[in-house]
Amino acid sequence: MATAFRPTTRGCRAELEQHERRLLSRLCGDVVTILEGRTRNVSDDADVSDDAPASEPIEAPADASADASADASADAPADIGMDDSVFAHFSAELAGLDGDDSLSAPEDPVLRRLLPDASTDAEEAGRFRRLSESSLRAAKIADLRTARMLLESSPVQVTDEQAPMLGRALNDVRLTLSARLGVEDESDAEAVQQRAVRGGGSDEETFMAEVYTFVTWLQETLFSAMLEALPDDGGDGDAEGGAADGRRA
Amino acid sequence: MSSTAGSTLARGETDLEEESSVRAAAQRPYHVVVWNDPVNLMSYVSWVFRTYFGHSSSRAHELMMQVHEKGRAVVATGSREQAERDVTAMHHYGLQATLEES
Repeated sequence: MATAFRPTTRGCRAELEQHERRLLSRLCGDVVTILEGRTRNVSDDADVSDDAPASEPIEAPADASADASADASADAPADIGMDDSVFAHFSAELAGLDGDDSLSAPEDPVLRRLLPDASTDAEEAGRFRRLSESSLRAAKIADLRTARMLLESSPVQVTDEQAPMLGRALNDVRLTLSARLGVEDESDAEAVQQRAVRGGGSDEETFMAEVYTFVTWLQETLFSAMLEALPDDGGDGDAEGGAADGRRA
Repeated sequence: MSSTAGSTLARGETDLEEESSVRAAAQRPYHVVVWNDPVNLMSYVSWVFRTYFGHSSSRAHELMMQVHEKGRAVVATGSREQAERDVTAMHHYGLQATLEES
């Protein structure tokens, strides 16, 4: 059973079982795969494809025949994908959007949560996305890979510099699971919590709920430890000063 | 521009006017808005506000509660360029954030 993250002299540390570290590492790998899929889709749509990073297989294929059949089945959707992108480009032009200035939001709810719109105005969000989404994906992938590296060792020991990277990676895992579990509001989150408490783990959704609750707990302990490590500002560091006495609340 | 008419002086004035209105738009402050969501933990959100924006613990807590209870909070205000950087940073932390003209 895992122990909470606790502050140490140079960072935080938690004791995790091997199966827990493997599970977390695999989940981080899944999020990397999802983000890389978006990178491929975006560069397929664009005229320039030379900036697409080489895809890196995370898990070794189970066996050669499964790999071959996956390759065979991948051919057909690739053609359809091409038609879709041509159509998307055409409909974007019809909508009066310049394809070169704007990038549309992903349709996958997981990706929408990982890569949210930067504006409530759709045109502004599309322009912003065109300029910033690829660096955001790269930053998230770098965190997730660092997290996988940190999860290799037991106990899991993170420095003050590494802790935010692990924290952001765990958060992206939670965002991914929450989208898969259909968590849209506080009552959905409560329902997931209840399902995990009831336990059983016989169906996939209960298992996902248990994993979500575990990652939530681990992230909470990590940031509680990191908040403890922050220098005490006496609760009131603002120049105006009024917030602490409650008069300006 | 549509017309080539007018003296050098008149063109100069027009250019100056345009330039200053463009500059005014760029200098108009922008808000960084963080929206409530059911996933991000209160401790995490407070930690991000403290460490990224350098808010005091009480201010970070106040903003976090505002996000939680009111559904959104303006967590920073600055130039368009700075606000864009802040929104991207919030997305990197997994928070739902948008840019808004003030």
